[in-house]
Amino acid sequence: MKLFKAIIVTTFVLLSSLSANTPLTGTQIIEKTYNRPSAVDQTAMLTMTLTNKNGQTRVRKIQQFSKDMGDKEKSIMFFVSPADVKNTSFMNWTYDSDKSDDQWIYLPALKKVKRISSDSKSDYFMGSDFTFDDLGGRKINSDIHTLLREEIVNEKECYVIESKSVNEDYMYSKTITWIDKNTFIGVKKEFFDEDEELLKILKIKKMEEISNLYIITHSEMINVQKDHSTTIILNNVNINTGISENKFTERMMTRGI
Amino acid sequence: MKFTSMKIKVTILLVILLFSQFAIAQGIDISGFGRTYEGVNVKNGDFSIVQQTLNLNFEKRGNNVAIKANPIAYLNNQDSLSVDLREIYMDMYFKNFDLRLGKQQIVWGKADGVFITDIVSPLNLSEFLLPDFDEIRRGIISAKLNYYIGNSTIEAIWIPQFAPTIRPDANSIWYIEPEFPVTPVFDWSQSGINPSLKNSEVFLKWSAMTSKLDFELMGGYTWDDNPSMHVQKQFTMNNSTIPPKPMLSGLNITPQHHRLAVAGGSFGAEILGVVLRGEGAYYNGKYFQTEDPSAVDALIQKDYLNYVVGLDFNIAGVVFSTQFIQKYILEHNDFISEDKFQNTATFVARYNTLRETLHLELFSYIGLSNNDALIRPKITYDFDDSFSLLIGANIFVGDRDGQFGQYQDNSIIYTKIKYSF
Repeated sequence: MKLFKAIIVTTFVLLSSLSANTPLTGTQIIEKTYNRPSAVDQTAMLTMTLTNKNGQTRVRKIQQFSKDMGDKEKSIMFFVSPADVKNTSFMNWTYDSDKSDDQWIYLPALKKVKRISSDSKSDYFMGSDFTFDDLGGRKINSDIHTLLREEIVNEKECYVIESKSVNEDYMYSKTITWIDKNTFIGVKKEFFDEDEELLKILKIKKMEEISNLYIITHSEMINVQKDHSTTIILNNVNINTGISENKFTERMMTRGI
Repeated sequence: MKFTSMKIKVTILLVILLFSQFAIAQGIDISGFGRTYEGVNVKNGDFSIVQQTLNLNFEKRGNNVAIKANPIAYLNNQDSLSVDLREIYMDMYFKNFDLRLGKQQIVWGKADGVFITDIVSPLNLSEFLLPDFDEIRRGIISAKLNYYIGNSTIEAIWIPQFAPTIRPDANSIWYIEPEFPVTPVFDWSQSGINPSLKNSEVFLKWSAMTSKLDFELMGGYTWDDNPSMHVQKQFTMNNSTIPPKPMLSGLNITPQHHRLAVAGGSFGAEILGVVLRGEGAYYNGKYFQTEDPSAVDALIQKDYLNYVVGLDFNIAGVVFSTQFIQKYILEHNDFISEDKFQNTATFVARYNTLRETLHLELFSYIGLSNNDALIRPKITYDFDDSFSLLIGANIFVGDRDGQFGQYQDNSIIYTKIKYSF
């Protein structure tokens, strides 16, 4: 029995050292990024500021709630401002499987919750520089990931990963992501258009440790072709407060915050 | 609630504005919009509509209770002011159920722009189907109980006092005068419904939102929102013919609302990026106008089905939505003034551009049975997040016997400038 235990321990140590010395592939790095510890549930007030090339700004405020339920993640957003979209709510259920997202919108003027097609993930969100995919709705296997190189960005050692969509009609020909080697958190991302020209740059401006988790609280997306940018700032972030599953229902969409 | 005296209306408006100051001091949330709406008849260049609107929402929300009041004031032309308290209700929130009491708009169903199971709140059709949908629906005094079980909801509604659909006034451009062989005499004395427990309306709905399908199943014991016209004919003998023949000499018309029992349902599901929607209802005991000489009061009671199927999909950033609607009268006969089948379609194409500041939309009702249509193109530009300009048109085309073609002299182009706060 002792011999059996010794073999197991030796094998485990050998395998561990082997995996530590084996370079990670692009897909493995992206998987580690996706699978790093994250909140079971999160609430935050999101302030999105759109700035055009003349320096004019438009501000959107959204109260958001999200909860990881194992095989699916549910999120709900309540639009606080501007006035013409106030009390509108949007709910999204994302699945770990290949199943498409389920999405609903509640328009207070129509007093009705409507199921909407989730087939528009390339659409820009509320006139911002972020598409629904950019905001985290893209699945790992939607792209082929290749490790290009390693380099230092903002004094952090980073993996540089190129991701190309398996779907040739996708709006980006490729994206390049810089991922911190220590934390497996993306620190910068570049998006290339269908002609392989640089379209947008996503920069992480601030990260905070909240409830022992690293949360990106300030990010900026710059559209270099249109000279337009969008900043997203998260305030009042609360992690793992035990949001009820009942938060993600028609009842809450219509009731509001 | 409509007020007839101009002084009373102005006083009420002032009270509302003064209340706004008080509400701000009390921490009541105030939102709403001001809007100017001008429309020109494309045929004769007359202003069909010159309307100023102030819409206010007062809301105070707590953890267990909330209250909302929504007064709206319309100034038509120079001096025709109408003030309506469109909604005023109180919400009470409990662990597994919510209760809403007061005047409220209630919307059911999955169809857009048609009213099949969406029959709880009556309509204001004084400007046909042209106002925004939240302005077409009337608030109804009712008690609404929602009981929640997971993702499903049981909704029960009790309406103690019946409110009918509002029809255009006789001097409105939307009023179509019926043609009669002789001048009729209308007796409106029986058109009201005495508010009582016996005359209440009740509705029940079970709905659920799931990852595969959203659905609603509903039933209601209600009043027909549109009155049935009880026609009594008077005859005199025409002695100028040989032999003398009876001749129609008078019509007495008595509008009356009748009970209707309705059962139906609706669903919505996404299949390969396309949202499929459906809705249908069976109406039991509707009175239809008939020319059957043996019919009492020129009316006959029949059941009918009304249903819709629709698709929503995106192509190249344009959102399309299309619906086919059919009304089918069961056990129809040739004496009934309405056709056995009435087919209608709707079509919407919507495109947002310039970072969602420019909105292009084409909405149409297409009368398939009468080859007529209402075509509603519009362009909206948001100058900023509060201030928008809309330019649009309502074009009626086709057969004058159709529900849309009958208004072909009323086609307008219009503009709406709106400030939201």
